[in-house]
Amino acid sequence: MTGFTPDLLNRCIACGFCLPACPTYALTKDETSSPRGRIDLMRALDEGTLPADDPRVREEASFCLGCRACETVCPAGVQYGDLLEEWRDQQWQGSGRPLVARLLMILVDARWRVRLLGLLRRHARTRGGRPEGPSLMLGCFERALFPKVSRAARRLFPELAAPAAQGCCGALHAHNGDSARGRRMAEELGRRLPGTIVTTSGGCAAHLSSVLGRDRVKELSRYAYERDMPGGAEPSRPAAETPPGGVPAETADRPRVALQDSCHLRNGLDVWREPRAMLERIGTYVELPSAGTCCGAAGTYALVRPRDSRRVLDAKLDEIEAAGVDYVAVVNPGCYRQLDQGLRRRKSRVRAVHLAELLAGERPRRREP
Amino acid sequence: MPAKTTATGEPLDAATLRELRAIVGAEHVRHADGDVTPYARDATPLFRARPGAVVHPASTEEVAAVLRLAGARGVPVVPRGAGSNLCSATVPLQGGIVLVLTRLDRILEISAEELLAVCQPGVTSAALADAAAAHGLLYAPDPGSRSVATIGGTVATCAGGLRGLKYGVTRNYVLGLEAVLGTGEVIRTGGRLWKDVAGYDLTRLLTGSEGTLGVITEVTLALLPAPETAGNGLAYFPTLADAGRAVTRVIAAGIVPATLEFLDARCVDAVEQHARLGLRRDAGALLIFGDDGEPAAVAQRLDRMAELCRDTGAIEVSVAGHAAESEALLAARRCTLPALSRLGSITILEDVGVPRPRIAEMVGHIEDIAQRHDVTIATFGHAGDGNLHPTCVIDKGDDAAGERAHDAFGEIFRTAMRLGGTITGEHGVGAAKLPYLTERLGAAQIDLQRRIKAAFDPAGILNPGKAGS
Repeated sequence: MTGFTPDLLNRCIACGFCLPACPTYALTKDETSSPRGRIDLMRALDEGTLPADDPRVREEASFCLGCRACETVCPAGVQYGDLLEEWRDQQWQGSGRPLVARLLMILVDARWRVRLLGLLRRHARTRGGRPEGPSLMLGCFERALFPKVSRAARRLFPELAAPAAQGCCGALHAHNGDSARGRRMAEELGRRLPGTIVTTSGGCAAHLSSVLGRDRVKELSRYAYERDMPGGAEPSRPAAETPPGGVPAETADRPRVALQDSCHLRNGLDVWREPRAMLERIGTYVELPSAGTCCGAAGTYALVRPRDSRRVLDAKLDEIEAAGVDYVAVVNPGCYRQLDQGLRRRKSRVRAVHLAELLAGERPRRREP
Repeated sequence: MPAKTTATGEPLDAATLRELRAIVGAEHVRHADGDVTPYARDATPLFRARPGAVVHPASTEEVAAVLRLAGARGVPVVPRGAGSNLCSATVPLQGGIVLVLTRLDRILEISAEELLAVCQPGVTSAALADAAAAHGLLYAPDPGSRSVATIGGTVATCAGGLRGLKYGVTRNYVLGLEAVLGTGEVIRTGGRLWKDVAGYDLTRLLTGSEGTLGVITEVTLALLPAPETAGNGLAYFPTLADAGRAVTRVIAAGIVPATLEFLDARCVDAVEQHARLGLRRDAGALLIFGDDGEPAAVAQRLDRMAELCRDTGAIEVSVAGHAAESEALLAARRCTLPALSRLGSITILEDVGVPRPRIAEMVGHIEDIAQRHDVTIATFGHAGDGNLHPTCVIDKGDDAAGERAHDAFGEIFRTAMRLGGTITGEHGVGAAKLPYLTERLGAAQIDLQRRIKAAFDPAGILNPGKAGS
C-alpha cells in the first residue's frame, strides 16, 4: 500500500516519448534513469514487486532532477512532477531524506529564521506606508544569497510591497518529500500576502501557483510583460520597439544576452516567451541550444548530488562560452547560484545576472579572464 | 540446440555476470531487481518479462564478446534500442540478457557526395534526420516515434512512417549493415553501393528481423537531396470511409503525395486535446494531405488534392499557410497514439495493412467489428499506403473488455488478410503478432524461417520465443 494517486500512475502508456527530453537519460542512456523507467519503479513500489528500500529505487528518486521537461513532451499528459512529489513523500521520510535537504527545510520552516536570513543582507523592504500594488515575494534563500534581486525588482516596479515577515513558500518541502507541509506553507504565505504575489523565482512561482492558483501568482517576467500589455495578450514574438513602463530604454549599449530558463517556470507554467521578450528590449537576445533544459541546480540537487549536478552543468557552460554573450540571464535563484559558480570556476568572462537586474539597468562588468 | 530458458527475473549465475563485467565494465552490467524492472517492457501494452541482466556495450567487439559468451552458456540475448516498438519485440520472454545499444550513438559519416550516412545503431532517427538536413539532405523514413526510436531499432523492425507512399519504408534506405550473429561472428552486408548483387541480399533479410538473426552494430543509409519545400492541407469528411474514398481518388488521379494521413473523430479529439491546433472536432474524419518538392509543383498538387477532396464530399478543406504550421500538424499527428491514451488507461494499437483501393471497405469492417464486440476502437493511419491503426482503449482492470478487444482484433486481422492485406504494416511481429504469423505466411514459410534462424543463430539465443524460434 503506497501513496500514489492511481490516476496519475495509470496515465503513462510507456510510449517513451519522454526519453530524449530527460537530462539524466542523456547522461546515462539507461532506461531506468528515464521518466518512463522511473514510473515503472513507482509502479513496482505500488504493486509491491519492489520494496521501498530497494537501492536502485532509492537512487532514482534522488537522481531525478525533477525538472519536469518530460511533461512538456508527454502526449498522454502524465503529471510527472506530481508523481515525483508523491514518490519522495514515501522515500524521503526521516533518515531517508538527504541531510542537506533536512537542514535547509528546518532552516526555512520558521518565519523568524527566514527573516533573520535576510536581515543582514539588505534585501528590498517596504516600511511604513505600504505601496498599493501587489506583494513582492522575497524568497527564503534568494533574500540571503541574492538580495540585490529584490532591490532591483523594487526599483523596476516601485508599486510592489515587500514586507519582510512573509516566510518561505514551501517549494523546498514539496520537492524534498514533504508535500503536505509544502502546501501549508504556501497557503500561509498566501494569507500573509493577500492579492497578487510577484516573485523573482520561477521555482517558487510554480509551487505557489499549484497551491494558490495561477491567477494570484506572477513570476517577474510575466508581471513585467502583462503590465506592459494590458489585457494580458500572450507574447507571440518579442516586440522590441516600446520599452515597458519603468524599464529604461537601452539604445547605445546593447549587450548580447542569453537566457537560462527556469525549468518549473517553463515546464510547469509555460512561461518562457516572456523573459525572452523582455531581454530583447535591453539587448541582443541569443538563444542557447539548451536554454530550456535544466542547468543542474534543480533546487537542492546541486547540494545533494554535486557531482551529477556538475555533469549536467558542464555541457551548458561550454555552450554559453561558445555563444559569445556578455550575460546569461536567470529567472530563478537556484539557476543563479549554479551558473554564477560554474562560470566563476571556469574564469569565464560571461556573467550570470538575474533578469530583474538587467531590466533595472544594471550591467555588471565582465570579469577579466 | 535450444536456448536454455532462464526464468524471467532470475539473475544470471555469478560466473556469467563476472565475465560480462570483464567485457563491458562493471558499471555497464546491471542485474539487481530495481535495475532491470524497466527493461521488462517496451512500448507495447500487456507484455512484460524481466531480464536477468541488462548490458550496455560500447563497441562491436563488446557485442561480439557478449554473444560468444551467451552462446556458450545458452543465455538468451534480446537486443534493444530505445524500447519504443509496438509489438513487444524487445520484451525478454525467456529472461536472459537485454543488450541495450544506446551507448553506440555516434553518427560516423554524412556524405553529400555519395548521398549516404553511416551511423551506429543507438543514434535516434530524428538525430540522423537532423544531421542529414544540416547537409541539405533528407533521411526519408519518418516513424511517429522518430524523436525516440533508434536507427538500430527502426532497421530491426523495418519501421515505416508518414511518408511511406512516396518514399517507401526503412528497408528502401538500408544500403549496408554490420551485424553480429548468434555465434559472435561479425558480418558486413551490402555497403555503400546502390547497385550490388554479390550474393544473397542479407541486408534485406536482417532488416525487419527484430533481433532474431543478429545484433545490428552499424548502419549505412541512403539519403536524398532535401526537397525544396513541403506543404500540407486538411480536409474534414463526414466519415472515415469518405476520407478513404478521397484517398483512392487522389492516387487514381496519378498523384503520389508525401503524406496522406487520416484520423477518425476520436483521434482528432485526442490530438486536439494534446496539441491545441484548433482542429475541428465536429467532423467524422480528418485527412491530412501533403507533398514536397519544387514550390510551384507542390502548390499545384495541393490544390489538385484539395479539389479532389471537395469532389468526394469534404465538409471543409484548407491548406496550411506556412511551413511551421505544416510541421506542427504532422508533429501532432505523430503523437496520435499516446494522445489517445487520454481516453482510457490501456491503449491497444493495431497495425493492419490492406491494398489501397480497399481502404474504405476495411474501415467499414473495423467499425462493424467494434460494434459487434462492444468495444471502442479509434482508427487512424497512413491512408496513402493502406496501413491502418485501429486502436482500442480500455480501462485497466476491465478484463471482460480486454477479452472482447482481443476477439475484435482477431477478427480485424482475418478480415485484413481476406482483403489481401497483412497483420502488421510497420510495427512488426514481436510476441504480439506471433499467434497470427502462420496464418499470414503459411506452414512452409514458417518452417523455412526456422531453418534460416538456425543458420544465423545455431544456439537459439537471439530473442528466443519470437519469429523463427
